Amino acid sequence: MRELFPMKQVNGFIFSLLLTVIALSVYFFDMSFAMGLTILIVTAFIQAAVQLVVFMHAGESKDKHAIYANTIYGVVIAVLTILGSLLAMVWGYN
Amino acid sequence: MKHDSNLPLEYSTETNEMNILGFWIFLGAEIMLFATLFTTYFVYVDRGVGNGPAGSEIFELTPVMIETILLLTSSFTIGLAVHAMRINRVKAMIGFMIVTLLLGAGFISLEVYEFIHYYHEGATLQTSGFTAILLTTLGTHGAHVTLGLFWGIMIIIQTLRNGLNARTANKSFIFSLYWHFLDVMWIFIFSFIYLKGMM
Amino acid sequence: MDFFDRFSIPPHDDPMLYASIVAIAIVSIAIVVGLTYFKKWGYLWNEWLTTVDHKRIGIMYIISALLMLFRGGADAVMMRLQTAVPDNTFLDAQHYNEVFTTHGVVMIIFMAMAFIIGMMNFVVPLQIGARDVAFPRLNALSFWLYFAGAMLFNLSFVVGGSPDAGWTNYYPLAGTDFSEHVGVNYYNWALQISGIGTLMTGINFIATIMKMRAPGMKLMKMPMFTWSALITNLIIVFAFPVLTIALLMGTFDRQFFTNFFTTSDGGMDMMWANLFWIWGHPEVYILILPAFGIYSQIISTFSQRNLYGYKSMVASMVVISLLSFLVWVHHFFTMGQGAVANSIFSITTMAIAVPTGIKIFNWLLTMWKGKIRFTTPMMYSVAFIPLFTIGGVTGVMLAMASADYQYHNTMFLVAHFHNVIIPGVVFAMIAGLIYYWPKMFGFMLNERIGKWAFWNIVIGFCLAFFPMYITGLNGQARRMYTYSESTGFGPLSMVSFIGALLLAVGFVLIVYNVYYSFRHAPRNVGDDPWNARSLEWATHNPVPEYNFAITPNVNSEEAFWDYKKNGHDLFKGKIEDIHMPNNSGWSIIFAGIFFVFGFCFVFHVWAGVIIAFLGIIGCMIYRSFEKDDGHHIHKEEIEETEKKFGGAK
Repeated sequence: MRELFPMKQVNGFIFSLLLTVIALSVYFFDMSFAMGLTILIVTAFIQAAVQLVVFMHAGESKDKHAIYANTIYGVVIAVLTILGSLLAMVWGYN
Repeated sequence: MKHDSNLPLEYSTETNEMNILGFWIFLGAEIMLFATLFTTYFVYVDRGVGNGPAGSEIFELTPVMIETILLLTSSFTIGLAVHAMRINRVKAMIGFMIVTLLLGAGFISLEVYEFIHYYHEGATLQTSGFTAILLTTLGTHGAHVTLGLFWGIMIIIQTLRNGLNARTANKSFIFSLYWHFLDVMWIFIFSFIYLKGMM
Repeated sequence: MDFFDRFSIPPHDDPMLYASIVAIAIVSIAIVVGLTYFKKWGYLWNEWLTTVDHKRIGIMYIISALLMLFRGGADAVMMRLQTAVPDNTFLDAQHYNEVFTTHGVVMIIFMAMAFIIGMMNFVVPLQIGARDVAFPRLNALSFWLYFAGAMLFNLSFVVGGSPDAGWTNYYPLAGTDFSEHVGVNYYNWALQISGIGTLMTGINFIATIMKMRAPGMKLMKMPMFTWSALITNLIIVFAFPVLTIALLMGTFDRQFFTNFFTTSDGGMDMMWANLFWIWGHPEVYILILPAFGIYSQIISTFSQRNLYGYKSMVASMVVISLLSFLVWVHHFFTMGQGAVANSIFSITTMAIAVPTGIKIFNWLLTMWKGKIRFTTPMMYSVAFIPLFTIGGVTGVMLAMASADYQYHNTMFLVAHFHNVIIPGVVFAMIAGLIYYWPKMFGFMLNERIGKWAFWNIVIGFCLAFFPMYITGLNGQARRMYTYSESTGFGPLSMVSFIGALLLAVGFVLIVYNVYYSFRHAPRNVGDDPWNARSLEWATHNPVPEYNFAITPNVNSEEAFWDYKKNGHDLFKGKIEDIHMPNNSGWSIIFAGIFFVFGFCFVFHVWAGVIIAFLGIIGCMIYRSFEKDDGHHIHKEEIEETEKKFGGAK
């Protein structure tokens, strides 16, 4: 039975639950918007990285450079698209 | 098709390697798909509420929290399924996959409950720009999970019928990538739609 | 009868329309009768409709693209005819709206995209020494989804009415308030279906180029067209999902009464413009980068020199791919988002001119001291450089946000983007088609007729579009179906019409050239008619099914040149059995069901939508359970084929 639950994955799972609890703090504690958003951004991206590396085995095959490059490129473009749209559609009017 | 015995079964042929890389590239496209939904959401949460309810008026923490835990756990169990597959424990692998799908089904039922709740709160697809993008984003994620449920069932059937071979191992591994990815997307929805909205 | 009313033709009556319906019916019947009479149904089904061979799929893309070129071209001539003289009544306002909308969509999505994807399909696997693409079945599905989308879009002309809100389809004009008939529904579904196909192509080609290169071909030893294809497909993968979502929202707005792009209840009409251009601007580079790749191949071949500045070419394409996602707001500088946002996007836009400029200089320096041979493909490439530079410079003019308030939505803009797309993409595709024609069909196109076509097209282009710069600066708005005589746009618009006619003559000459050369050109052109340099020329003309009998061994981006001139041993191994994928009718059936799905959705025929949706699911389940391991071509068979071509290579 033990060999079915490798430590790496169990730890990953516990860590991701922990991150969720930390993220929840923005709901239960009174804090500034900037502070809350920072916590959410940090926990969400660490959480995503945990999934990517621990569970999705992104770095195990010989195509790992292509896989990481593709994913990072996608994330960069995605973030820039969101920020650029906010700039054009929301912030530009303030 | 050459066979390299040093690699796990799911990487064992050139076709398999290509399938896995191709699926990663597809996940890159999925990142952009959800990024588009988030882009629209972030704009509309600010400027698109109109006369409809804002997020803080309709969100409920309890069902969202349960959904999050269900999906996080299912991501863990599908990871265990892949691990079981790699140590050639087919029965355990199938077991973990079934648990994963059950957790996924639980997630979907709660999401349906959530949508009904929004409907009663007067937040339908037609209410405002904000409710439209909220429900479309959640709906797109939910549709992905629903598709995943059926896909997972197909793979379980094939593994039971044909046993664990290069083909079924490859399919199962790719399915696990898909499932983990949906979990990651849910983390972003949970953080930036629900928690940010209720903050 | 209420049910059938929805399919009735467009919101206006026009004898020309009924004439075209009759013409379409006659041509369709003629095709069916012809195929039956010559007993070609089996051949068509077995050899083409079910094929998974990248070369045949490429050729089918290119044939479809040429058909769409003439469809979109007919629209263009109609527009120029309507505006040739002031106060013309050839087309009414509604009809004119439909014509410029379908012209734009057909030319960008169904002509240019199909042409570049066709070229990539045909050339890339040959250039990297592969037997096929990574996912041959998916490749066939990509084509058929594109084709289903194209047919759905063209059907709008005769059933229900064409879209009329411009190819950019801006809301609220595209909403149900201002565009009541089903035209824009067609737009949404035709682009959605073909867009899914394009996304699959993107995934397929990245995997192909990353995983299937011949031994020795490192990334920095790939021929330039393959590099451009890699970067293009990267952009496709990250740009097309944005379109998918935007179209979905548009569909929701029009068919389920949501408020994404309305002007009430929190809807934002400009959000469509924002999302459209997040896809739309990278789309521009999706079109132009493969064209740059083709020019690189052609200019280097006919200057008889290696490509100058290989690394800077690659680097500039990588930079373009990133920057292409960072400039989209320049399409709506006049929205009112303030000086800060406009300045940022103005700067990123101008920055793109830098890597593009580097490429221009590289081509010039490749020709410098080269021994230039002025074949038809080379003439298009040489004409491209100055014409494209003019288009680029006017682009930088448009990039200046404050000045853009003057140019926005004028004919100046129309002149600019035709100035980059026609010499950029269209010239490249024609040049590439002529260049690779012997590779596809085993004979050359006639050079004399080709040059006649070239001069018609180049002069026609200049006459058609340069006057628009002037009328645009004088204030002529785009998309206006007529103007009064006092504006003074008349004479220049007439010149523009004459240019359009010359362009039309040029394209007809290209088709005539195909016919003439098919009848008269010699068939013994050999394997290397152009004295070419890169790997795709190391196999036979036309290319056998398996591409290369022996997997080539590569040591530079000009493997074939090394083989010819420097004694490089390209084919080291010996002939062995070759594994090939099986043909399958699955792709065309799947895409056919998608077509039905789209058509029923356009008209709110929900029973049909549900049935087609179940069909789609059924096809996916069938595919999941299908066991298809392909087949082997045996050694003896290959040796025989190679002997027929005059010895194994």
